[in-house]
Amino acid sequence: MEVSFDKYSLMVDGKRVFIKSGAFHYFRTPGVEMARDRFQKMKAGGYNTVDLYFNWNYHSPKQGEYDFSGIKDVRKILEETKKAGLFVIARPGPFINAEVNAGGLPFWLLKDEEVIPRNRIGTEYKYSPKYMEYVAEWYDQIIPIIREFDNVILFQIENEYATDSMEEDYMKELYKMARDRGIKCPIFHNDAYFAGLWADCVDIYALDLYPYINPNQNWKQDNFCFDTLDNVEDIFRCAKEDSPPFIAEMQSGWFDKWDGMGYKHIREALGDEHINIMTKTAISQGVTIFNHFLAVGGTNWGNLACDEVYTSYEFTAPIDEFGVPQSNYHKAKEINYFLDSFDLTCTEPKEFDFCQENIYAKMRHDITNDCDWLFLRNMGIQGEQNEAENGIVLPNGKTVKLKSCDMKICPVNLSLKGCDIEFSDAEIFARLQKEDKEAVFFISDKDANIYLSDGTVISGNQKDFANFTFERAGKSTQIIFLTKHLADKSWFLKDRMIFNADYVLPNGAAAVEKNTEIAYFDLQYGFSKKNCVVNELDKYFIQPLEISDVKFCSPEIDLDYDYSSWKKISGKTDAFSCNIFDEFIWYKTKIPNYLTEITLSARHLFAVYVNGKEIINRNSYKLEKLQEVPETISVPLNKSILNRDENELTILVQNLGFDKGFSGDTNNPRGLVIFETTPQIPVEFSVCDKLSIERTNKYESDNPYLAKITVNFDVEFKDNVFFAKYISFEDFRCRRATIYLNGVKIGRYIKRRHVQDKFYLINEFLKEHNTLDIVVWEKDRNVKSAWGFKSDLENVKILLGTFKNYQLFK
Amino acid sequence: MVIVPDFLIKRIYQKGSLKKLENGASFNLKNVLGPGFISGFNYVKINDVIIMNGKEYTSNDVSDDNPIAFRLGQAGTLVMTGNDSVTEGVNKIVIEALNPEAGVVKLSVEDNA
Repeated sequence: MEVSFDKYSLMVDGKRVFIKSGAFHYFRTPGVEMARDRFQKMKAGGYNTVDLYFNWNYHSPKQGEYDFSGIKDVRKILEETKKAGLFVIARPGPFINAEVNAGGLPFWLLKDEEVIPRNRIGTEYKYSPKYMEYVAEWYDQIIPIIREFDNVILFQIENEYATDSMEEDYMKELYKMARDRGIKCPIFHNDAYFAGLWADCVDIYALDLYPYINPNQNWKQDNFCFDTLDNVEDIFRCAKEDSPPFIAEMQSGWFDKWDGMGYKHIREALGDEHINIMTKTAISQGVTIFNHFLAVGGTNWGNLACDEVYTSYEFTAPIDEFGVPQSNYHKAKEINYFLDSFDLTCTEPKEFDFCQENIYAKMRHDITNDCDWLFLRNMGIQGEQNEAENGIVLPNGKTVKLKSCDMKICPVNLSLKGCDIEFSDAEIFARLQKEDKEAVFFISDKDANIYLSDGTVISGNQKDFANFTFERAGKSTQIIFLTKHLADKSWFLKDRMIFNADYVLPNGAAAVEKNTEIAYFDLQYGFSKKNCVVNELDKYFIQPLEISDVKFCSPEIDLDYDYSSWKKISGKTDAFSCNIFDEFIWYKTKIPNYLTEITLSARHLFAVYVNGKEIINRNSYKLEKLQEVPETISVPLNKSILNRDENELTILVQNLGFDKGFSGDTNNPRGLVIFETTPQIPVEFSVCDKLSIERTNKYESDNPYLAKITVNFDVEFKDNVFFAKYISFEDFRCRRATIYLNGVKIGRYIKRRHVQDKFYLINEFLKEHNTLDIVVWEKDRNVKSAWGFKSDLENVKILLGTFKNYQLFK
Repeated sequence: MVIVPDFLIKRIYQKGSLKKLENGASFNLKNVLGPGFISGFNYVKINDVIIMNGKEYTSNDVSDDNPIAFRLGQAGTLVMTGNDSVTEGVNKIVIEALNPEAGVVKLSVEDNA
């Protein structure tokens, strides 16, 4: 494919294309089958492009080692994009942010003292030849794979990058490195500061926009959050006059944090209105390339997460973490279908003399369709004082009622095959065309009307499938109404519409949850119907899982544990110094009995054991003003603790992830950051990574501090059935747990007020017969004995739930 | 410290707006970056003298719970009293403000009174 562009849009093989993209994290939705499922749902929702970050850290455990096998096989992911009929925006970093561990930079890179990550210290530019050598190594690995796919239409270098003095060497070198390795498509950067940064170093200027990043903020009241978006066309034209307006990350959701409000809150706060306003306002500003970030939610399984985020990276995306389309998906779908129906790749702003408080009104002239589109938005607060809810009187004399936080795209002087629309505040959903016939689907709206040029007025207050036909000169236009409820279950597939399905696949297969009468419409045969009878599916039950086994599993804490094979370190003890980047790090040493105190600082959770007994167990994780707050703790020792001449000290540290590198530093230390004794003595630690159940089969211990709860359950796989399952910790009494599904770490649970207690059983890791291991790290202080603790664990409640079941019908 | 490049933050300060007041100073800020909130000022230093050392801009009741909106294009005058540190000629001004979304934002400029 040959990709070119002008000031209006991208052109693929000479044809203008409106790029409707959504971001997908293959590392958070692992495996080809899950990728295929999500891509097909994206395509069904009208997206024509998928944005892929390539996560350097995920593929490179050691310098010079790259893993593109199994679920890390990005070729297979790219093959699936092609099969789904999607273009690709390739974003291989080197830095990606995305709330992944260390922003996607490999740990070995951060450890290398010769490397200055991203040629930047704070905001000061400092070129690092060694860093560039390693970036070349990454590009040598990833670019040849990307190049194999001709559906890659855009390529990004770096991400959200800036320095105080804005030296261009780094960006220019990345550009050259991409070109030298055969990247032919346009190259861009994603400017987080929407200030025209790096516009001269790339082919197309692009930026990211997140008006809602504070879940405590009520964006519906603080409506000025769209100020930048409302003026974004000027930013684009000032930055680069001859490239199309491109929002490389356009907010479609937001991530939650450990101390956050929870995804339920964020989803409710954003509603459907936010994605509606974001996308329509962007189009009103001439944007012809947008990328909803994210289109598909994911899971921070393994060690994927940076320290800020917990296991779910649901992101309130249109397609949620479980792979289920949500209401913002349906809103995005409406806009995507409209853009598939009318080509808005070539438009110019047009004067529109209208001003009213809280109303955003923008007119664009559509050169392709020779009509205008009026974009109207009401940001008044819901209630009586919101005049627009009662009706905005436009200069053309038409009155438009707009709900609070609603936005519409209204056609003006739009010529159809069988009639001309002078103005409509009923919105267009989709259009089917075949030769001289067309069917234009509108969304019913009791307050809206379609005004035809011949004076006919069609009320928008219509039932499903109400239709009106207009003919002239052998051509016809059928106007068909769909209620919003039906529109959500309506699917536009080039030459036909499918109704009443929960979703469809690009091949026309319809997915339904229950017995449904699916309806079809095309211009040749009109309407037809088919009954879909759903088999006995696994209902949405929640069942308690029977605990099959409880074992104590931290032999490292036991007194007789042999750790002679562990790596010995003296001096600095942090993760970089130990060269251990796993979530868990064990430290063991001997200390004399005359010590009176130890002082330590560890990121993020830790416990200290002396002679097999716990003396402190602490969660040191704290963020304030987006910065981590280090905590140093002194623990007094006495003869009852140090009851031997030589005492065995064991420290277990849980690292919740490295900084993502946006407002903090990826090199911020993890593990045991400070360790001092009083009186001061030199200490040599032996260190080891991972929990014992991940390292060895011999993991049973005498001590009760870490306990493994095992449950077994079966899953029935059926052809043409999609399901999403989870385990629930709603009634779980322990405060911390790490969850393994068939040996794969799929989640970490730390009890918080709003934060997740349901964990997605990632389909890729599910089998017919499954073993779930839950390692609890924190003996309840109220339980005095190990026996009592074990007995309690044998009775904890773990629930298995089915979130959704869909059956597919061809 | 949020990584916003210095040259971008400096755009907020309106050059030439520094005024010496009786026992204080004032200058103008204009938001040319993007809409947001200010939830407090850690300090404002003029010529290394801290002339407003409160954790919050209490005179206007600015806090995390009650941040003031700072719209794109909006201008405002920051008036500070309590110290007479503005001199004739070039003055070094450092402002450390708090933003609920971005954290601590530091602005360093020079201006003539």
